[in-house]
Amino acid sequence: MEEKAVLVVGGGISGIQASLDLASRGYKVYLVEKSPSIGGRMAQLDKTFPTMDCSMCILAPKMIDCSHHPNVQLLTYSEVKGVKGSAGNFVVTVLRKPRFVDETKCTGCGICADHCPVEVPNEFDEQLGMRKAIYMPFPQAVPRAMTVDKVNCIECGLCQKMCQAGAVDLKQQPQEVELDVGAIILSIGFDLFDPSQIPTYGYGRYRNVITALELERLLCASGPTGGHLIRPSDGRIPRKIAFVQCVGSRDRRLGTTYCSSICCKYSVKDAVLIKEHEPNTTVSIFYIDLRAFGKGFQVFVNRAKSEYGVRFIRSSPGEIMENPLTKDLTVWYEDTVAGRIENVTFDLVVLCPALLPRTDARELAKVFGIEVDDYGFFKASNVLTNPVDTTVSGIFACGYCLGPKTGDIPDSIMQGSATAARVAEVLERV
Amino acid sequence: MGEIANTPRGKGILLCIQCGRCSSSCPVARLTGEHNPRRLMEMVILGFKKEVLPTQLPWYCLSCFTCLDRCPQGGDVGEVMFAIRNLAVKQGNTPAGVAAQAKSLYETTRVINPVRTALDRRESLGLSKITTEGLEEVQKILRRTGMEKIVKST
Amino acid sequence: MKYAFFLGCLIPARELSYEVSVRKVLPELGVELVDMKGANCCAPFSIQSVDHASWMALAARNLCLAEEMGLDIMTLCNDCYESLLMVNNILKRNPALRDQVNQILSEVGKEYKGKIDVKNLVDVLSGDVGVDKVKGAIKEPISGLRVGTQPGCHLTKPKRIHFEVLRGFNELDALVQATGVESVPYERKEMCCGGPLRDINDDLARQVSREKLIALKNAEVQAVVTVCPFCFLQLDLGQLEVKRHFNEEYNLPVIHFIELLRMGMGMKLDDWEVKAHRIPITELLKDRL
Repeated sequence: MEEKAVLVVGGGISGIQASLDLASRGYKVYLVEKSPSIGGRMAQLDKTFPTMDCSMCILAPKMIDCSHHPNVQLLTYSEVKGVKGSAGNFVVTVLRKPRFVDETKCTGCGICADHCPVEVPNEFDEQLGMRKAIYMPFPQAVPRAMTVDKVNCIECGLCQKMCQAGAVDLKQQPQEVELDVGAIILSIGFDLFDPSQIPTYGYGRYRNVITALELERLLCASGPTGGHLIRPSDGRIPRKIAFVQCVGSRDRRLGTTYCSSICCKYSVKDAVLIKEHEPNTTVSIFYIDLRAFGKGFQVFVNRAKSEYGVRFIRSSPGEIMENPLTKDLTVWYEDTVAGRIENVTFDLVVLCPALLPRTDARELAKVFGIEVDDYGFFKASNVLTNPVDTTVSGIFACGYCLGPKTGDIPDSIMQGSATAARVAEVLERV
Repeated sequence: MGEIANTPRGKGILLCIQCGRCSSSCPVARLTGEHNPRRLMEMVILGFKKEVLPTQLPWYCLSCFTCLDRCPQGGDVGEVMFAIRNLAVKQGNTPAGVAAQAKSLYETTRVINPVRTALDRRESLGLSKITTEGLEEVQKILRRTGMEKIVKST
Repeated sequence: MKYAFFLGCLIPARELSYEVSVRKVLPELGVELVDMKGANCCAPFSIQSVDHASWMALAARNLCLAEEMGLDIMTLCNDCYESLLMVNNILKRNPALRDQVNQILSEVGKEYKGKIDVKNLVDVLSGDVGVDKVKGAIKEPISGLRVGTQPGCHLTKPKRIHFEVLRGFNELDALVQATGVESVPYERKEMCCGGPLRDINDDLARQVSREKLIALKNAEVQAVVTVCPFCFLQLDLGQLEVKRHFNEEYNLPVIHFIELLRMGMGMKLDDWEVKAHRIPITELLKDRL
């Protein structure tokens, strides 16, 4: 029996887990990732709940495993363009976008970036920091190679000149490869709701209204501020921070009627993190319902209240206004328990936006011929009994691209392993 | 709550999750503690009829619809307010100002009529006359809907 | 462009100058207005609060009159706009309610068929006439004037209920800019003027108007531009009432957009029209009057 390989699309934690599980069983895995490095959202986080482990410390070893494992072939900065065939016998066309750097030669020393004259906002830092046109998205990137952002590159050639390894190749061409695989796993993750669609919260207009992911980058030691929590408008340490839950989630007007399931968890985690960084800062969480289910979470919430003094206010704020001079934010809310309408001024407001399917999820679903649900998440063939099977036999999905569920990291890892087991079943059957 | 929910304008009450976005957006609620759209929804949901219908509570609303625009559930708070007021009127609670407008409508087809000086100026400018044309039809309509009875009783 | 002109109650009663300006300006822009004979009150906030079926039927009667004329309706007042627009949209989409209303209307020999649309002055000027044409009609742009526009609640909300995006701030601001006047953004632009509570709860209405005036004053504008006669009444005459009750002066002249347009087109306001502004506009617009 010819051993077929497996394709994993999406190099976040669930895709990485699935790849490692299959690779350690002896299967060959092609791990395709759209961005220059694997790692996904977990790489952007500072600490994970509720154990408060350093996110990258848990993720990086798995990323290294992927790059070193003899059975895993990384195809980063690549996208799936076409799929033919059926379970046991897929032929997938993958476009390898040119990074204009030879991965085999680049040592990741970064001299090229030091000399690059072009600076653009860094997507990995949620546009809060800058990167060069030749860049590594984050220090622990895998593969450890630079990438040239041709859109912003001015083709001055300095990087090429400075590179000691001769790795820069500005004439690199895109490459199409065909992969023969027996099964496919989709793990493309999520995108964030754009809170500027709720104009009364001022996101996009008020500098000190940020999303939770932007907060993670500010808290993260590898982030744009080196882990110092400072507010965007003036670099001061915020002394009064508000978290606003359900920004876009549970919203029938916008169509995202579901609960994104991890925001209550991560906001309490972030609140505790902030209190640990800055004990003199007050943190208030504005919630509609506090969804702290599962092992250890309610205890964590109670600790947040009693040990750290995090304030929980049952209210979805109606309006946020900015003081044009101080850039402080006044939040109008009703304390629904007390029945009083109040307004309080904060230094920094963190919005917890809904988590949406990735913007290219529907398109990708078409390429693979799988169905999506009303929201655009990949549909399970049977939500009850086959939750990681898609509607096409031989194609599986794991992680947030399947939808909220409980959504957090352990779940994504679990689902990754689940798809690996399902894939092994398909491959062994054939 | 069922009474409100079964009216065309009141069905949004079933969607309310008491989040408080409406009340914290309401311009009147910021001025007086008497008015609180979320609390009013709560009272309707809990069935507090006599605490709501005979009182001033439904009549602080401006119908500015800020609440409605902000409600994440599509609860149409501003619309539910109208349903509550309709019910309050049915039970005999109509503020004087509202009753006066309703009476004027019934008697002249308009809620407010020009005074003599305004009519004179209108004539001097050669503009169309203000008449009560259509009054018969309006009264027939109001008889049929039952509003005539309400007008005559207040 | 021809419209059934729905005047409403408030304008003939208290703001004749608005009607006069509209009748002078719109024909110059190619808009013909046909009076609606025998139209009744649109059924604003107060009447809607009394009885639902009455609201529907009263508004629908006006819609029928326009249908018989074969013309879309143009309103000036935001309350009229909101009432007629809502009923028109609801009856178009809800056959059960439409049947109920037609049953009532059959008593007066009318039937609502859903053939026309309801528009307001801003819709007509920015949509059908177009901002470019309006700009082209300006003979003497009004420069050096900073205003805060008051589009009004029932022009801009509730967007969702109306199943379409209502004409809102941007359209009115674009029209104002076309006359040369600068429209300044300010906090609480969406806020209500307080009008609907007039005569029902005057104290509260005054407090709301006051909040609005404070927001306008903080924006350091020289005047307020309105499109709704209620907003005008509440912010103009209301300003005097606020002054009496709170002992606060705002000195914010209130002027209808159509009056700005009229002046920009080279027409002068008559004496009585100038005096109709309780907060005097003579200082601000001395050479334009």
